[in-house]
Parts: sequence; structure tokens; C-alpha cells
Amino acid sequence: MSKLRLNGVSKAYGATLALRRGDLDVAAGEVHVLMGSNGSGKSTLCKVIAGSVRPDGGQILINDKPVTISGPQAARVAGIGIFYQELSLASHRSVEENICLSALPVKAGFFIDRRALKARAARYIALFAEVAGEGFHAEALVGNLRADQRQLVEIMKALASEAPILIFDEPTSALDRAQVDRFFEILRGLKAQGRGVIFISHRMDEITAIGDRVTIIRDGETIETLKLSDTDPATVIRLMVGGASDMPAARSSAPAVVETRAKAAISVRNLTGKGFRDVSFEVARGEILGLGGLHGQGQSALLRAIFGTSAVTSGEVTIGGERYNAKSPRDAIRRGCAYVSGDRGRDGVISGRPIIENVTPIHYLRDRLMIARPSSLKNKAMPALAAMHTKFASLFHPINSLSGGNQQKVIIARWLIDRPDVLLLDDPTKGIDLSAKADLFALIRQLAADGLGILLYSSEDAELLGNANRILVFNGGSVTRELTGDDRTRYNLYQAAYEAA
Amino acid sequence: MTSTTTDMRTSGAGGLRSWLERYPFLPALVIVVALLALNGLFSPNSLSFRSLTGLLSTYMALIMLAIAQTYVVSAGDIDLSAGATLSLVNVAIVVLMERWGGGAGAVLLALALGVLIGLACGLVNGLVVAALRLQAIVATFATSIFFIGLALYVMPVAGTPAPALFWHTYGGRLLGLPFVFYVLAALAVLLYLLSRTRIVTELLAVGDDQQAAYQTGLPVVAVRIRGYLLSGLFSALAAFCLTGDTASGDPLVGGKMTLYSVAAVVLGGSALAGGWTTVVGSLLGALTIGLVNSLVFFMGTPSEWQNFVQGLAILLVLMAGVLAGRRARV
Repeated sequence: MSKLRLNGVSKAYGATLALRRGDLDVAAGEVHVLMGSNGSGKSTLCKVIAGSVRPDGGQILINDKPVTISGPQAARVAGIGIFYQELSLASHRSVEENICLSALPVKAGFFIDRRALKARAARYIALFAEVAGEGFHAEALVGNLRADQRQLVEIMKALASEAPILIFDEPTSALDRAQVDRFFEILRGLKAQGRGVIFISHRMDEITAIGDRVTIIRDGETIETLKLSDTDPATVIRLMVGGASDMPAARSSAPAVVETRAKAAISVRNLTGKGFRDVSFEVARGEILGLGGLHGQGQSALLRAIFGTSAVTSGEVTIGGERYNAKSPRDAIRRGCAYVSGDRGRDGVISGRPIIENVTPIHYLRDRLMIARPSSLKNKAMPALAAMHTKFASLFHPINSLSGGNQQKVIIARWLIDRPDVLLLDDPTKGIDLSAKADLFALIRQLAADGLGILLYSSEDAELLGNANRILVFNGGSVTRELTGDDRTRYNLYQAAYEAA
Repeated sequence: MTSTTTDMRTSGAGGLRSWLERYPFLPALVIVVALLALNGLFSPNSLSFRSLTGLLSTYMALIMLAIAQTYVVSAGDIDLSAGATLSLVNVAIVVLMERWGGGAGAVLLALALGVLIGLACGLVNGLVVAALRLQAIVATFATSIFFIGLALYVMPVAGTPAPALFWHTYGGRLLGLPFVFYVLAALAVLLYLLSRTRIVTELLAVGDDQQAAYQTGLPVVAVRIRGYLLSGLFSALAAFCLTGDTASGDPLVGGKMTLYSVAAVVLGGSALAGGWTTVVGSLLGALTIGLVNSLVFFMGTPSEWQNFVQGLAILLVLMAGVLAGRRARV
């Protein structure tokens, strides 16, 4: 008998299909694991069940009866509780208020029944009493808690729904070992009560420890459901990756070994900072070093720290043989470092200003330019933009008139007027169409051939496999594996990313 | 030695921080006390029971309006029509009281109708902002023009007097105490009761993070509409106090008060972004504005400079509040 069943659920955001065909079958008394790579549609599927995303098609059955879930409230009534990956907490409210927020106990119609609220919250806080850590109490404001403690509050909030079907979308990402162990004990208790639990995690050891069955989602489609006891991690990863998993990266695009010109463009020794620790590597001139792994494992933090936007606590960086210690991006730019972020709105575009002003700020800084003459700047800007095949009507049109891909080309062009020595690419193709992506990577490889040292982080594995000479796989803030030559396969990349930190 | 002093300072800041978290209106309270002291310094007479009663009865309307504003700000919204609602209720009750003869029954009936008008204005705002999803700042600006239009229809020219029974009661005494003290006491009870309701907690949760509140299963649209209803209710109460103080109807009286009410909310220590508000702070913020105005007067500022000094003083007070908040957040 199945507690919850999804048949062919689909959801599109504009032109992108987030979920093509989601099928799922959760039985009473099981922990059902959902697996899939970043952007495969797991979270969308969960949000459809929880009512915060409305599906375009498909059928949802609870206890074999078809239901329509019109919103989060309706989902609650239907008996569904959820832990949101991005959390759903009010940071200025107390822990106990957050736990009970979805159904505040009321007396006399209007007034909050404080005693009932405290009693109810206390039950769930007690579950984690030994592992919650310092400063965690019922009246603490959620905004003052540590990341792991906030995650515990979200778990308690999900548990407080007392729903027969519970969804946990990456509930353990910030928790320590003891907290995870306690959480799993609680999950086993829920299983024994006959509840259905959907569980998402990126850690293979956790999945085998708690899961009963696993459903694999790839590119928005349910691929298969397996019993975890009958399978092994390698099979699961192979299913997640799809057919082409064992093929090495297309060799035509990136040579496995650079004919090393001996000189390192940048070398990093035991670098530690917020979000990453003890990272060491060397990038030769002309080399593209890929940073891989799941999202948010320290790759961006490392690149931003090298560029001087956040502090480095220990370790050293040398560029061109000289000790380099950037205190600010300004400093980093003067030393020949360039940084292009995928988050154009935050880190790149000077919104509302003409294209020419968006191409030239780095030139101002590096040339200590005091007076800007459009005619002479134009001569410098045009070749840089032309190198990228940037499409624009006039240099004096606002940058917002361009498409995302062309905006990003303008941002990259600003670094090409005065050539840097090191180029840091932080997921540079986020939200860019395919042809612009191809242009970008052609240019990046050209820049490498011209002798730049390039560090490339991408959330799309294909980009790393197709362009990087070597790939460092990050897990939990440090490098766990280096893939070179024929080891650069999709399978190896996934395996390294998903193994326990 | 040095280490112990730093330790003490950090624990001091931590203590201050937890105090501020529990009582976010503390800086506003300190400022009100300081302004009272300054008033006393320039004119000892300004601290007399009589003058303070006068100050309170004059600024009670702004206090109510600031509280009205606080509830919408809690949910991350804003109500630029609060002053216009006040004007509309003001002219409506004055006209109704006059039509119905100005007796006790007429006054009470007109007040009841005034409350309904305030709630109706709140409902319009709520529907426009929360249900139709228009930008709160522009939508309520538009409804404010609409409400003023209605007020001008009800009373085209200012000056119709309110019945003597009404303003005598408001400005007079009851059992030996000024009536406005009873208003303040009733307001305190009302605020205390409201602070314990579910709706206020839900408003704050919506203001904190609207998406999170939606995903939690809160009825976000209904909650925001209820915020505007509370705003309409308190704008009506503000109109009653104003009518009691000025003893007449004026269709344009509230226009200037709207932004004062927003200023009072911020001076009181609430966050305009929502999720973190204090009604007691807003009350103190409105008093701050009143005390600044009376201080400027008692300092003997030449009349042509009074606006300039008032603006400067409010800026200074705002800075003091921000600095206090920032220190506590170290």
C-alpha cells in the first residue's frame, strides 16, 4: 500500500522544464531517498508535494485517493510536512514561535495560548536537547543562532506538523555528526510509527544508513526506483549520471596535459579561510584548472578569497613568483588578477549605465586614468568586445538592453583591455544561453593558449569536463580528489563529489 | 588587565543587545527622557502637569496614527493613506454629530460609524495591496488621494465645529483626572491585548520573510489585509483624538501627519523592512516628535527658523537611535 504516489507530475518555469515527468511512490513506514544531481528537479518535486509550487500536469494520490494540493495550507491539511532546503524561518521570532508558526495554538478565538505553545515546542526542542549546542533555547531569536541550529529549528518545525508524510530536503547539510545521528534515531522512530518519509541528501553514507528505497531523478525525469539493500553506490551514481558515464571527457576540447612552460601563473599553499580549508594547488601559464564538486563546497569562497573580497586566515598565494596577499579587489586587480562571477547583477553589471562604462572600469583602475575621453576609450573597448563576438547596437546603449549572455561578454571584455595574469571564473555561465556559452568557452580556451592561468568553477559538470585540463573536486571545503587525464569522467566526478567528507 | 576590560565591554554589549532584543524601544525611551529634561531646562513650566497633559492630548492623534502605521509596517507594508483616513473619519463624524443634534447618543453612534469608516478604508488598502499585489507605497498613496476626495465631498471647507459635549469630554476631567489619561490607559490595555493575539505574531512572521511565511502555510494575503484593517481602526481612533483636540472638522488635516507617523515608527526603533516592530516605541516616537516641536518653541526659535530646527532635531534624534542600535549589534 502506498502512502503517497505521484504520476507524471510536470512543472515548467517559462521555457525551462524543471520537472518533465516525476513519478514517486512512498510506502508507509519507509524512508524514501530522492537522488539526482544539481538542478535535476528533486526540490521542485518536493515543493509540488508541499504545495508551494503548483504543478502543470500529473496526478498526486494520498492513500490511493487523488488529491489537489492548492497551496501549503492545503498540503498541511492533506497531511504533508516539509523541511525546506532554504529554510522557512522568521529570523526575528523565537525558536518556539517558529516551531509552532503554522498552527499557533489559540484561546478565546484571538489570543495565543502561550502555555500550550511552550509545551508543544518544548516536546520537539527536547528531542535535540543534548546535541543542539550552546545558546539554543526556546526563547532565543532564530536570527541569533548558528547555521546548524537554524537547521535544527527547521527540522523541529517539520516534525511539529506531525504529518503522516514528511519531506526532508537536504536537512543535514550544516549538521555535525552527533546531530545527524540524533536526527536519524528520530527518523527511525517515525518509520516505526508507519509514517512515510522522503529524504534528500548528497552524502552516500547517510543515504545507505537511513534509506530503504531510492528513486533516481535525472534531467527532470524519474529514472528508476531501487531497494537500497539490493544495490550499491556505484549503480546509483551510474543511474544518476546516465548512459555516457564512463566516457572520458571529449579530448578534442582540452588537452589532458599542458606542455608545461614550467612557470606557474598562480600557486596556492595551504590556503584556509571562511568556507574552505587547507587548499593547495598550482596553475601553470596556459592551464585551465577546474574546481568541481557539489554546489557550495568552498569553490566560490576560495575564488572570492583569492580576489580579496573575503579574508584568508592562513596559507599563502604567489602570482608570477611573487608573494601575493590581496586585501581588497582593488589590490587584486592591480596585481593582475581578474574575477568574473556568474552572479552578474551582484558582482559585475553597472546597472543602467552605458556599455562603454561597463567595459572600462578596470582600465581606469589599472591605467590610473583620470580623464575619460570616449573616442580614445572606444578604440580600446572595441577590440575587446569584438574578441567576444558581443552583439550590441552602440557603445552608449545601457547595458540592460543586452541579453544575459551579451552582458556577461561585456563583463569579460572589461578584463581584456589590460591583460591579467590570472583569471578567476566563478560559475561564469549561470543563466546564459547555449551559443553564448560556446563563445565564452572558445574565448577562455584562447586566453589560456595566450598564457593566462585560469581557475574555473562551474556548477555544470559538462563545462568542467570539456574545458579543464585538471579538475580538483571539493567536498566540505577541501579538495578531496584530483582528476587528470583519462580520469576526468563524469562518473569519477560524481563519485568524488558524493562520497562522505 | 586589558583583557578583563575588553571582556567586560563585550559582555556589556551582549547584555545591552539582549535588553534591546527584549525591549527594542529602550533608545526611544532614553531620547524621550532626554527631551523632557531639555524642555525642563529651557522652560521649567513645560514640565508642569498642565503642560504635559496638553502635550499628550495634542499628540494623542499622532500616537494613534503611529501605532496604526506600526501594524502595517510589521508585515513589511506601508500605509501612506493613514492621514487621509484620519481626515475622512474626522469630517465624517463631525458632520454626523452635527446632523444628529450633538447629543450623547449621536456622538456614540457617529463614533461607531467612524470606526466602520476606518475599517472600510483599511479593507480597501488591504485589497489593493495584498490581493491585487500593487506596490504598497504607490497604491496607498493613490487611495489617500481617493480618501481625501471623499473627505472634501463630505465637508468641502474646513471649520464645521464638533459638538461641545464631545470636545469638552476629551479636553476635560473625569473623576479628577484628565480624560486623555483614560484614553492612554485604554490604549495601553488594547495594545497589551493585541500583542498577545495570533494576528500580530503572524504579521511579524510575514514581514520577516514573506516567502517563508507562505511556505509555512500562513494565509499571507489575509494576514496583510488584517494588518491594513488594524491600521484603519487605529487611524479612526486617531481621528477621534484629533477631533477632540481641534473641536472641528478639516478635510485636509491628516495629510501632513502621514509621514510624521512613518517617522515616529522609525524613531521608535521599528524596522521599516518589517518583521521587527514595537508599538510602545512608536508611541514614544510620536512623543519624541511632539517634544522636539515644543522644545523648538520653548528655546525661543524665531518663527521663520522653526521648521529648519525641527527637521534638524529629528535628524539628530534619528542618528542617535541608529547609533545606539548599531552599538548593540556589535
